[in-house]
Amino acid sequence: MTAQIIDGKAFAATVRAQVKEQVAHLIADHGITPGLAVVLVGEDPASQVYVRSKGKMTTEVGMASFEHKLDVDTSEAELLALIETLNNDPAVHGILVQLPLPGHMNSDLVINAINPAKDADGFHISNVGLLGTGQKSMVPCTPLGCLMMLRDHHGSLSGMNAVVLGRSNIVGKPMAQLLLGDSCTVTIAHSRTKDLAAVVRGADIVVAAVGRPQMVPGDWIKPGATVIDVGINRIDKPEGGTRLVGDVDFDSCAAVAGAITPVPGGVGPMTIACLLANTLTACCRANGLQEPEGLTA
Amino acid sequence: MGDHRLLNGKAVRVRILNEVKAYVDSLRGGPIGRLVSISIGDNPEVAVYVRNQARGAAAAGLRFDQQLWGNEITQEECKRLITEMNDDPDVLGIILQRPVPDHIHVRSLQSAIHPLKDVEGMNPASIGNIVYSDVALAPCTAAASVELIKETGLNLKGLEVVMIGHSEIVGKPAAMMLMAEGATVTVCHHMTRSVAMHSRRADVVIVAVGKAHLIGPEMIKPGAAVIDIGINQIVAPDGSARIVGDVATDEVLDIAGWITPVPGGVGPVTVATLMRNATVAHERQLAVGWIS
Repeated sequence: MTAQIIDGKAFAATVRAQVKEQVAHLIADHGITPGLAVVLVGEDPASQVYVRSKGKMTTEVGMASFEHKLDVDTSEAELLALIETLNNDPAVHGILVQLPLPGHMNSDLVINAINPAKDADGFHISNVGLLGTGQKSMVPCTPLGCLMMLRDHHGSLSGMNAVVLGRSNIVGKPMAQLLLGDSCTVTIAHSRTKDLAAVVRGADIVVAAVGRPQMVPGDWIKPGATVIDVGINRIDKPEGGTRLVGDVDFDSCAAVAGAITPVPGGVGPMTIACLLANTLTACCRANGLQEPEGLTA
Repeated sequence: MGDHRLLNGKAVRVRILNEVKAYVDSLRGGPIGRLVSISIGDNPEVAVYVRNQARGAAAAGLRFDQQLWGNEITQEECKRLITEMNDDPDVLGIILQRPVPDHIHVRSLQSAIHPLKDVEGMNPASIGNIVYSDVALAPCTAAASVELIKETGLNLKGLEVVMIGHSEIVGKPAAMMLMAEGATVTVCHHMTRSVAMHSRRADVVIVAVGKAHLIGPEMIKPGAAVIDIGINQIVAPDGSARIVGDVATDEVLDIAGWITPVPGGVGPVTVATLMRNATVAHERQLAVGWIS
């Protein structure tokens, strides 16, 4: 059999369209424009690209975008003062501090200075704990995107066996919590796991987030399983040059799986779409309005 | 307690409480604040927990302040009193007993307890730290389970652990703690299709469901360790009541490598981990300069 390809690019566009529609309602019915503030410290080229595209998409869905670009030698105290201002600014519903921060700053301290209710990335320690205990929280964007794709493909995930490969704080752990929240039986496997192949073979859903190119071969996949590939790795092509691959070996896995996300064009595009969804959610909560359906955990 | 397969919670409790006492003694009379236990409204079950904790504190050499707040106290008043305790250097840690009356929002009060005084590990930020693998100040029952697994001498790295039950105060934090220690953790619950399929593969099975004798020997791999967190009261045909766990202990004993008895397994260790959390809170308050 050949797996259905889950088109993340198209699905992300659908999510952004939903966000756009909700934003239009908020503006028309309540006079509220959701706002996302993005803070970039320094001139890391990759970060600049992200911040630019976040800003562009924020305006495209009708939200207000506030970009704050700070010099690389900005002091931590100045950054914390800016965050405090944004925390208190009623026009700002979501705050994102682009990581990595320069070496002289303590990222944990900075992230935890964000008002948890405005924490669009879901990295504040209280949000981590709220998600970890199944309470309402702001949810990290990448795992939220994976969850939306899985729900879209399967409807209910209840009772399915899910294996999350990788236990990172930004993907693996929150992914496991979200899948538990949707009543999957969840195994978190990682570099210490003894028989990875056997563990993965038991899974109806595999989420790979280990950062190792093409680590998961097709013969680890249960026939018909859904494979979500979070990895983005650049490898050399035999004929020269490089290309992007995921954490799963796409061709062999696609031959066995029921559905699979490609790299690129799978999980990647969902991340910014979920950032916008999170900002919308934060805005609705801040104004005591009903949360947007289908756009939250 | 002759059977070496039974993990003796009472002995672990004594060991931990002695460690805490040694810590307190090492301060040589230097100041260490008191633990405050808050019960809201009169509840005989809660009173049993509080008595147990008071005994544990006494054994560890810690002062224990039992407060009983009236049933009619408001949420705002509770919050105000907790905030005062956060600022009071003589309060080492705050324990909020549950259940609370219906008009009290317990989560909001748990969030009001400062993480450095949160000896029960219930503030979302405390749970966040557990998720991020900083596990020194963990919810007591989860910490007690991990302690008893370590008591077997099994190396947690690469160990297959199946957690049955995903409650917020036991299952989820225990799963995160064990993952931080390098175990491969699977969390099962009432929607799991076949719990046995998972549990039979496991080197360690932890059960926290609250159903008497849910887990039989057919669900356990020979030689595995079984940690039973359940506390269920059952009534025998003759009308006598007794406490049993979630595991059919006698039957599982024939196949398991280790098992925690109920009572006498996880329960006694829980209070001891609360006292150990108090020493962690003390160290952290010292480290940030709250106290000297």
